[in-house]
Amino acid sequence: MKIIALAAAGSIAFAAAACSKPPADTPGTPGAGSFKACMVTDTGGIDDRSFNEASWKGLEAAKAANSAVTTKYTASTAMSDYDPNLQNQVTDGCKYIQAVGGLMGDATKKVAAANPTVQFSIVDADNLGLTNVYPIQFETQQAAFLAGYLAAGYSKTGKVGTYGGMKIGPVTIFMDGFVDGVKHYNTTKGKNVQVFGWDKDKQDGLFTNDFVKQDAGKQQSDTLVAQGADVIFPVAGGAGLGSAAAAANGGYVIIWVDSDGFLTTDYKSVMLSSVLKNSTDGVKDAVLNSAKTPGTLLTGGFLGTLANKGVGLAPFHDFDSKIDQSLKDELKKLEADIIAGTIKVTSPAQPK
Amino acid sequence: MTSMTVDNSLALPEGYWTRTRKAGLIMVLLGLIAAVYLTAIVPNEPARFFLGETTAASGASFSINGKVGTLIFGLLTIACGALLILTNKRFGLYVGLGLAFFVVAALIWQIAETGGQVPLSSLSKITMEKSLPLIFGAIAGVLCERSGVVNVAIEGQLLTGAFFAALFGTMVGSQWFGLVAAAIGGALISLILAWLAIRFLVDQVVIGVVLNALALGLTGFFYEQVMREDTKSFNSPGLLPVWTVPGLSEIPIIGPALFKGTILTYAALLLVVAATVALFRTRWGLRTRAVGEHPAAADTVGIKVLGLRYVNVMIAGLVAGFGGAYFSMVTASSFTKNITGGLGFIALAAMIFGRWHPVGAFLAAIFFGFSSALSSLLQAIQSPIPSDFLAMLPYVATIFAVAGLVGRSRAPAADGKPYVKG
Repeated sequence: MKIIALAAAGSIAFAAAACSKPPADTPGTPGAGSFKACMVTDTGGIDDRSFNEASWKGLEAAKAANSAVTTKYTASTAMSDYDPNLQNQVTDGCKYIQAVGGLMGDATKKVAAANPTVQFSIVDADNLGLTNVYPIQFETQQAAFLAGYLAAGYSKTGKVGTYGGMKIGPVTIFMDGFVDGVKHYNTTKGKNVQVFGWDKDKQDGLFTNDFVKQDAGKQQSDTLVAQGADVIFPVAGGAGLGSAAAAANGGYVIIWVDSDGFLTTDYKSVMLSSVLKNSTDGVKDAVLNSAKTPGTLLTGGFLGTLANKGVGLAPFHDFDSKIDQSLKDELKKLEADIIAGTIKVTSPAQPK
Repeated sequence: MTSMTVDNSLALPEGYWTRTRKAGLIMVLLGLIAAVYLTAIVPNEPARFFLGETTAASGASFSINGKVGTLIFGLLTIACGALLILTNKRFGLYVGLGLAFFVVAALIWQIAETGGQVPLSSLSKITMEKSLPLIFGAIAGVLCERSGVVNVAIEGQLLTGAFFAALFGTMVGSQWFGLVAAAIGGALISLILAWLAIRFLVDQVVIGVVLNALALGLTGFFYEQVMREDTKSFNSPGLLPVWTVPGLSEIPIIGPALFKGTILTYAALLLVVAATVALFRTRWGLRTRAVGEHPAAADTVGIKVLGLRYVNVMIAGLVAGFGGAYFSMVTASSFTKNITGGLGFIALAAMIFGRWHPVGAFLAAIFFGFSSALSSLLQAIQSPIPSDFLAMLPYVATIFAVAGLVGRSRAPAADGKPYVKG
């Protein structure tokens, strides 16, 4: 506990220092900039090559599309920062506040309930029972299913592995889909590809318990590789970078999550593909709609699926020539089947 | 300084049930759990261990029947406990062995239960890798505290080292320069620690905590402002090359861990030896210990107490900073905010667990690394033990080790006490 207490004390004391300069508070052109859209990152930080980064791109895209929009973000270094960070953005006059991540649910609920006229939005959580919270959610398991099938088809050792950052819905939904995809491959092909790191029935597996520590990520992938896995699916945000960095020497490939790892990380040569979660478009549309009618709250929510391209499998890039055409065709067919509803992919963590 | 310490060996006798015998009793109980309970519940299946780094079917392996394995190793644990009770001697050896046997019994149970496979070389390799920053951190703590300055700032030294390695390694375009910069980074934190603690007599624990926060805040700030803006020019030092010692790296189980690593692996091993020799076989070491135990006495025989403390705190910073390069050049090839994630505090615990001795610190670091590697392995092979519990394992083990097994590990007498002449 001392460790946690000290670490927490440190983070709290210096959270203010770490983000003292508002990093991206762009001055608007004269007459513009009347709609302030703000975002609070989770502990992964704005450049997690994952959903924080993707959501921020959504805000930036909205700014590019509508000159009335100005953007700003505040980084959280600890979970205890969520509440004050959200609170500060309300005080700061933000009209639209984007919370990122299911872990921010409690803090968002508290701050949003206290400020019912401010438009809040949250990625990876439902509307928290409030009318001023706009939920942006994803049927991620559909895309992860394709990734599992791809991994099983690509693996030479017949073993693949996955690990998560934390045992929470937005993470395990990837792992559920992945495991089911491998299972589907085994059933249709009569093969026996093994998955290490996640047991869908027991809902338990391998976790770094962290989204930042790259050494923890590497440790988990080393463990999986030792079990024979040659395709690794890290669902751990920035911690997964440790696995990606070691992949070239370790003789395995990575399936990245949230954004296209080939484009967002420095480890292009090991990125087999990525499970995309298009927070960017979901956030962009929400901001633009909210800016169009300031003062009115958004209704409904955004649900990303394979059908509306809210989730998907990234291009194979450098691996395009190394994947059999038949496997690519099967993936296309699977995608169509899932969109048509003939194959149902479910997860206990999927949006209700 | 007038404080005196009572040597523990002069304490009053404790009767028949000494601490050693009590520990023996606990060993016997653990052994009974393994030999009776585990043997009863373990399935009658073989547990398979591979000598190599993977579980490839072609690799050398051996297997042991689950029931036979838990029984044998349970009995061995009991034997260690019995020896402790009967002889009342060799506390460390038998407790260590007994615990090791118990862990093996538990492992056999888990493997037989899940049908999983254990690649032993990989287990030891992950153990060693996980231990590396702890070895550097803990020995930095030893060097500092043996001279009487408490070093709570290990975390900050590691973090600054990691940051400097990535920043300057990338800017200069040389990983070796990055390593030097890492050491200097750690020393900078040490400089502040030494200056405030020795010159201004500020409470050393408080400075340590503040320095950790300072390092976290500053590296985080510069990461956001500089590194993140241009990763290519400021934050891509690349991975350190892995050097393989021909022949020795082929030794089963321990070969890959000790003889197939980056410069940090070899430096850590060398450091353990060098620090031990320096502390206990050289004039500098004798003086360091004298200053840490009784600075007034050391002063009267002409040792420059404050000067020596400055030197030692700076050396500690160099060591910890160098180890910090692990985070940005060994397990990752970039720096991110708070990349050390509290391991510096574990290093602090390892130093205490290791009784302020370089070899002890090394073993304690390995102990933590092993429980962490084991936790990963059990999660990966889908052990029936919940992953949340397994994730706690390394920390729980460390707490028990620090609190219970070490017994009265005694800090240097003048540790944390500023020295004022006269």
